Amino acid sequence: MPFDPHFIARLIPALLEGAKVTVELAALTMAICLVWGLLVALAHSTRGLLGSIAGGYIQLVRNTPLLIQLYVVYFGFSMAGFGLSGFASGLLALCAQNGGYVAEIYRGGLQSVSIRQFEAGRALGMRRRTLYTTVILPQVIARVIPPLTNQSISIIKDTSQVAAIAVMEIMKITEVWVETSANTYDVFLGAALIYLALTSIAGLVGKLAERSLAFAQ
Amino acid sequence: MKELGPLIHSFWYLLRGAGMTVLMATSAVVPATLLGVLLALLHVFGGWLLRSAILGYLFLIRGIPLLVLLTFVYYLMPLTGIDLPPFWGVVLVISLYYAAFVSEVFRAGILSLPQAQWDAARSLGMTRRLMLQIVVLPQALRLSAPPYVSLCVSLVKATSLVSIVGLWELTMAPFQIFIGAAAIYFCICYTLALYGRHLERRVLLGH
Repeated sequence: MPFDPHFIARLIPALLEGAKVTVELAALTMAICLVWGLLVALAHSTRGLLGSIAGGYIQLVRNTPLLIQLYVVYFGFSMAGFGLSGFASGLLALCAQNGGYVAEIYRGGLQSVSIRQFEAGRALGMRRRTLYTTVILPQVIARVIPPLTNQSISIIKDTSQVAAIAVMEIMKITEVWVETSANTYDVFLGAALIYLALTSIAGLVGKLAERSLAFAQ
Repeated sequence: MKELGPLIHSFWYLLRGAGMTVLMATSAVVPATLLGVLLALLHVFGGWLLRSAILGYLFLIRGIPLLVLLTFVYYLMPLTGIDLPPFWGVVLVISLYYAAFVSEVFRAGILSLPQAQWDAARSLGMTRRLMLQIVVLPQALRLSAPPYVSLCVSLVKATSLVSIVGLWELTMAPFQIFIGAAAIYFCICYTLALYGRHLERRVLLGH
């Protein structure tokens, strides 16, 4: 029977337990990707072998599904003899894919700063370091915040795919509860509401960050 | 080279899966695009009621993972007695999901047209319909082509989720197969991405 209060009272703590794993996974992925994406973007901006490797990496992870990357990491490591937990495999695959996207966001941010800003800085006799820290980077940071917010929302949603390698996050718990209770509507409604809440919070944090950096536009 | 055994063995199987991926992606991309353009137009030109309905729809789609919706429909269909083949159920969900993103891309395209274009069309005495037809839409569609192609790449990748909800597709068992599957997805998506980059260059040149 849908909307049975006793059932919902048992369902909510279970889903929140899953939400904890989802949040951990998404937050770790975002934190790692902010750094890893920067390293990839820097490597990509160099000429020669390193630049080509970074470029190849970006194309590879962006043009294959996350689900396949998950399976490759999860089964690949276990075949190689040192099995990773589902959580660790999920984290690795999420970072691999989103690192490529974040690197492209950084590159887009840097490219969007007009060449005249660089020229003006140099004409004023600024050192390279001063030019970057006081003129260029504040503008880059302000411009990458909106796409990074979108990326973090997409990361939260992508963590649901980790259910495929049996990590007990929201999606997996949803599946288990639907299978065992046959109370399809309640479980999915609960899961959808939690995802909506998490993505809304991420969007809100992004908006606040955007507003506090509005001076740099 | 013993490790490559399963890969060679399953080559035709993978290739048939690739056919399924392409079929599913193209079946979904057409309704997603048409509905997306319609939603974008209604969002920009519709009244406040339509606009808030569309905003609500966008909020839902942007906040809920596609996998949740796919699984929901998978469990829902037997319950409601809707006798839709699973393939079309999946295509329906993916179309409705991507229509929201397509509409945002086209809306951005419409809004990025310079004000002078609207003013010029109006001062020539064009009706709203004519203005849309020969001034706004052609330019908006051209501007939004590169991000639209990235969405198509994302849609192709999203078809892989179908394997989780049980419909046969490009993803299945032994490890080597995943490498093969990754290679096939890469070929499809990278070709699309290259086309997108080509379009982007043309759009940039046009301005």
